[in-house]
Amino acid sequence: MNATAKTYQKGEIPGVIAIKASSCKGCDACKRHCPTSAITGMFGATHSINVDLCLSCGQCLINCPFGAPYETSYTVDEVIAKLKDPNFTVVGIIAPAVRVAIGEDFGLPAGSLVTGKLYGSMKKAGFEILDNNFTADLTIMEEGTEFISRARHAVFGEKNERGGETGPLPQFTSCCPAWVRLVEIKYPALIPNLSSAKSPQQMAGTVAKTYGTKIWKKSAEKIYTVGIMPCTAKKLEASRPEFISAYEYNKKNEGASSKPYPDVDTVLTTRDLSRLLKKMKIDLAKEKEVEGGTLLADYTGAGTIFGNTGGVMEAAVRTAYAVITGEELQPLEFKKVRGLKGVKSASVTIKDSKYNKEVTLNLAVVHNISENIKPVVEEVLAGRSPYHFIEVMNCPGGCINGGGQPICGNGSSWLGAIRPWFAWT
Amino acid sequence: MENKKYQYIENPLHITRREFITISGIIVAFLALPAVWIKALTSANNNYIQARTKGLYQDDEKAAVRVSHANKSVTRYYKEFGGEPLGHLSEELLHTKYINRTKGLS
Repeated sequence: MNATAKTYQKGEIPGVIAIKASSCKGCDACKRHCPTSAITGMFGATHSINVDLCLSCGQCLINCPFGAPYETSYTVDEVIAKLKDPNFTVVGIIAPAVRVAIGEDFGLPAGSLVTGKLYGSMKKAGFEILDNNFTADLTIMEEGTEFISRARHAVFGEKNERGGETGPLPQFTSCCPAWVRLVEIKYPALIPNLSSAKSPQQMAGTVAKTYGTKIWKKSAEKIYTVGIMPCTAKKLEASRPEFISAYEYNKKNEGASSKPYPDVDTVLTTRDLSRLLKKMKIDLAKEKEVEGGTLLADYTGAGTIFGNTGGVMEAAVRTAYAVITGEELQPLEFKKVRGLKGVKSASVTIKDSKYNKEVTLNLAVVHNISENIKPVVEEVLAGRSPYHFIEVMNCPGGCINGGGQPICGNGSSWLGAIRPWFAWT
Repeated sequence: MENKKYQYIENPLHITRREFITISGIIVAFLALPAVWIKALTSANNNYIQARTKGLYQDDEKAAVRVSHANKSVTRYYKEFGGEPLGHLSEELLHTKYINRTKGLS
């Protein structure tokens, strides 16, 4: 472990992003995209990253005009070796945002939805499919139920049925690992406000190695889980040492004696997956469309919009509305939380069928945290936040523009800084 | 006195008023061009974000089931294995705790 890294636990990757000194021109374009000002170095001098502040979000990587930042964790060859090993079932956990971006690497236009082709090429490579959208639905069940219990506790004084403590409002979403790390290194007072639900990726790893053993009829040690993520921070998240709950569960119930295994063995970004497919000579654009196959690949429309900013909130509103009122939300589209505005807010008035009273819930959605998070967090810390539920995503636009996505090759990130000079643009 | 030849030159460049207007127009166009170019490039950055966003909303619209609680596989997971949301096993497998990491920072 990096001896100077102080904000990492033992076993974690100390900073997924590093800057290649020979490529860095010191142009400062990356600094505008860094949410924690972790990039040091004067204008014109080679930049470097302070790993203690770095969230591993990868925004500098996808916005650098010179391609200087790179990922320190690269496991494509390791995954290929596992795919070729007949003893292992390799489970690919496909995040929602991957299916609309990976086509770009194979010559398809931006935004092409290629779920079927992606399944097809991954199955050809030897993966079993666990769609992360399935666990996104699972996340909504857990996180939504948690929110309802927190809200009922705050409004009606409802006690937790199991005697545990109920967290405070507002509840923050916990799907984004960069946001979780920002809370941990900068706003630890907000830790109780974070939803205790794991991110969909970590839920997927746990489900694959517990419930999944029945579906693939393999022991948990022989299931190798690979997160296919639009995100570099997911690599760091998967390496957090506490995420071995499948191991602990299996040890308790079956007395397995093997050494501890992580819930998610390794993470590939969207770019990494394209490299893997190209190395295995699979052309995604020409593959046939295929179904997921197992029940763990079943997903709903609510699960798939997790990749957009506002998606988690919209999915949660659809389910919470139905659970609280007993009726479905009409219409299902909750458009107030869509779009690219920095902080979006909305409120819904819901009649709680359990208490027969009307409740108004104030919701907020924040993305691009380097620009937008500060006022929202300061309100919460000062105790005058009007919101009950806040979705936070690190990257502008949500996961679809994550640090692990194919890079939009025009290298124009530095132009954003001079654009205000031209009043008529 | 010698006869001095004197030629009065009114316009040494021979630019007519129309030509002057044309040339000014071209110069302004050249000055404005980078601005248009910058606008095109920076909006291209947003275009791919919007294209991908649209792709996911399409996936939502064409889905047969559009709410998480109606996902039959999720229901089956809870019935066969997980119990219920926030239940004992869910707390053990699907929930986590966070760490205060500020100690290392000054």
